[in-house]
This record gives sequence, structure tokens and C-alpha cells, in this order.
Amino acid sequence: MQNVLSILFCLSLFYLSVTSRVKAYVTILRFQGLLLTVLLVFPFIHHFSIFALILPATLFIVKVIVIPRYINKIILDLDIKRVIEPTIQPFTFLLLVIFSMVVVFVASNILSKSADIETIPFASGFTAIVVGIFVIIFRKKLIIHVAGFLVLENGIFLFGTAVASELPMMIELGTLLDIFVVVFLMGIAINKISSTLAGFDVTVLGRLKD
Amino acid sequence: MELISLLKGIISLLVILILSPLFVGLVNKLKAIFTGRIGAPLLQPYYDLKRLFRKETINSTNSSFISVVSPVINLVTVVVAAAMLPIGFARPIISFEGDIILFAYMLGLARFFQILAAMDIGSSFEGMGAAREATFAVFAEPIFFFTIGSIAFINGLTSIYDIYHSIRLDNVSYLVFIIVCSISVFFLAITECSRMPVDDPNTHLELTMIHEVMILDNSGIDLFLYQYSSYLKLFIYAILETSFFYPFGVRSYTVGVVIFVVVITILSIALSISETITSRFKMKNIPQYLLFATAIGILNLLIYTFTK
Repeated sequence: MQNVLSILFCLSLFYLSVTSRVKAYVTILRFQGLLLTVLLVFPFIHHFSIFALILPATLFIVKVIVIPRYINKIILDLDIKRVIEPTIQPFTFLLLVIFSMVVVFVASNILSKSADIETIPFASGFTAIVVGIFVIIFRKKLIIHVAGFLVLENGIFLFGTAVASELPMMIELGTLLDIFVVVFLMGIAINKISSTLAGFDVTVLGRLKD
Repeated sequence: MELISLLKGIISLLVILILSPLFVGLVNKLKAIFTGRIGAPLLQPYYDLKRLFRKETINSTNSSFISVVSPVINLVTVVVAAAMLPIGFARPIISFEGDIILFAYMLGLARFFQILAAMDIGSSFEGMGAAREATFAVFAEPIFFFTIGSIAFINGLTSIYDIYHSIRLDNVSYLVFIIVCSISVFFLAITECSRMPVDDPNTHLELTMIHEVMILDNSGIDLFLYQYSSYLKLFIYAILETSFFYPFGVRSYTVGVVIFVVVITILSIALSISETITSRFKMKNIPQYLLFATAIGILNLLIYTFTK
């Protein structure tokens, strides 16, 4: 079951690398949040406890409802155009993603021989981290940078579930709070930038001087 | 026993040969219904073929013998490829170790001759269409080898019939694998048969055509052969897709046939829905669409190589 969810996660990463719509990024973030929630709920089906549901529930609220809504609100408020403005062709981007995915899978297979990890979720999580970084590097829009950061964060989360089956709950809750604050700050930052400069491109920021 | 198996194989081939225009007719009819039109009758492709069959063949004065032999080779190779596909649980007529490679290259040969013939005529439009077809074929070939090849790789089998028979639907992760595989085969079918997001079969503007532009200057029997082989090709890919969904644990011929009919119908609905809701891609976006399907194939291969 973990493998199935990881496959779906990887498919969403492929879609992320070819789509050219800002809306699609938000939908993918929702979808990935939902996948992670299911992934967390799944081990507790056999020994159910209300306490075990706190983390999945928080995850669901933060990643599926609050953050996507907040991003949508920013998009609406700032009237951001719906195209993502990449700096390289989607074709090249997808090639990069495939290449790094192959490398990550082979590497994690080698790793799994010496350490006790689940290869597929581990590798999928790692790929998501790489893809998140690629998104931040190769896209111009700031709001997409936020999305890239969130994909990276999702990757770390999946990565975490692969390494240890029982998560230290407080740590995970801590990271959730962390991303929430970061996204919030980024939102405010984008708002401020837009009131000073006309665009939301990082290229505009390059021209700033003291 | 041997004779019965051979007979079933022949029946399968006949079914493919006879029903392929019907499948196209069904897709077109459903597409018309979804877009709120009445549409052409279900048997329209048969009427078209009949009309073309009776017409006179005229070849361009610039063309060489390639234009004459190409339509025949095109049809023959596609029919040979069709003879390798299982319908129901019957063993196809041509079935041996490694026929998966032959299958791919039979279709490749058909395409090769079509491209040659298009360039042979000497019209620049056709040359453009040929160039496009060749470009997209480069990206479409890996899809087949990564998806079908990944199943072959897992089981160590190289015959299409054996590959499909090794599919077990009871394992959950295997089921997802098969569904993911069938998605990329669906992409492949759309590309190879020049359906909607890649190429519009109904378009009449030369600049935007891929497949249709290559057969602009053909007429009569030649056009009949091209049209018929393109109908066959679509049906071949449909069967390739359907074969993923047989519960191969149950080995009953009737069950196989019923499933075949049901899945083919579902597939035609899916195809017509996807053609209704999508618009054509820009030419420059097609390679990335094909690479996306290849990526799914590679992911499949990776996951099932590294699953413990």
C-alpha cells in the first residue's frame, strides 16, 4: 500500500514538471497532502487510537485545506497571471526529473542493502526533494517558489515515513508549524514586494540595489 | 487440440480484420453524441472503404515504384502485427519467444514505408508531414518498450501472449502497476493512431496535419489500403490495452470474449471522452507529452526492479 501511494506521488511529480498552470500546482499540492495523510492513517487501521489520528488530522488541515487556500487567496489578491514562466523548456525539465529519479532510485537501492529502509517511499521522497529544488531553480514566479518549497517539504515527509515506521509525533507537528509559518511569511513578503515593485518575478529582484 | 487452437487464432485475426472499422465508427459516433451532434452512422467507415475501393487510382507523375508498393506493404505489416495479438484466451497465429520485438518493428516498418511514400510524391506538404511523423515516432517508440518491456522484464518472458498471461490481478500493487501501464499504452495509442491531443483525424488544414497530410495525394485502392491499415492500427492498440484487463486466472474462452467486448466498449467511450474534452496540442508541446508517457514507463520499470 505504501508503494502504491509512492507511485501516485511520483506521477504527481511528473505532472508537476510538465504543467504550465499555476492552478495545477495548487491542485498537485492538495493531492500530495491527501496522499501523505492516507499514508499516515494507513498503519493505524489495525490498532486504532484517537491519539494516533492527531498528526494525520493536522496534516490534512494544514496541507490540504489551509495552505492551498492561502496560496489561492494570494493568487486572487495579487491577480497573478496563470502561466508559470519557466526558464527552461518543460521537455528539458522533464528529462532532468527522469534522470534524477533514475539516479535516486538506483542510489537508494544500494543504500537499502546496508540500512533498514523501504526503497520505494524513500526514493520517491528523495525525488520529490530534488524536484522541489528544480522547481525553485527553474521557475521565475515567486508563488511557484513557495510551491516548490512545499513539494520539497512533502518529499522530506515521505522520506521520514520510509526511514522510521513510527514517527516521533512532536517533531512532525513541529515541522508542520514550521512550514505554515514559512508559507505565511512568504505570502506577506510577496504582498510587500508587489506593493513596491510591479512584478512577482525573481528577475525583478535581481535589479535591486542598496 | 492443436487444430482447435489454430482455428481460434484464425478467428481472432478475422475478428480484428472485420471489426476494426466498426471500432472507429463507434468512437466517432460517441464523439458526435458527446458534442451534441447526431453524427455519421456507426457503419460509416465501412461505407467509406467501399467507396474508396471502387474509385480509380491515380498516382503522381513524379512518383516512383515506392508509391505503388508502399500501401500494400503498409497493410500487410499491420495485418502481421495483428496476427500476434491474443483475443480472449486464444493463442494467436504468430506466437514465439521474442515476438514482442517483431511486433514493434512490424509497425515500425509500416510507418517507415508510409514516410517514404509521402516523400516520394514530391509535394512539400507531404514531406513536412513525413518529417513530423518521424519526429514523433522517435518519442513514441520508447513508450512501448518501457511499458510492455517492463512487464516482460519482470517475468522474463518475451512473447506477447505469455507476457499477458503472466499478469495476475490479485496482488494490489501489481494491479496499480497494470493500471499505470495501461495509462501509458493509452497515450501511445493516441500518438500512433494520430488521435486528438496529438493530431486531429478530421482536420483539413495542411499545416496542422501529421498523419492525414501524408496521404493527401493518394486515391482509390491506395487510399483504401492506407485507411484500412490506420483503422486496424487503432484496433491493435485498443487490443493491446484491453489485454491488460483479462483475469487470466480464469481460463474460459467465453469469459474472455465477454471481457473483450466490455473493455473495448469502455475504451471507445474513454477515447471519445478524451477527444471531446481535449484540444490539439501545439506541435512543440507534443514531445513533452510523449516523454511524460515514457516517464511513466520508466517509473514502472524502476519500481518493479527495486521492490523487495
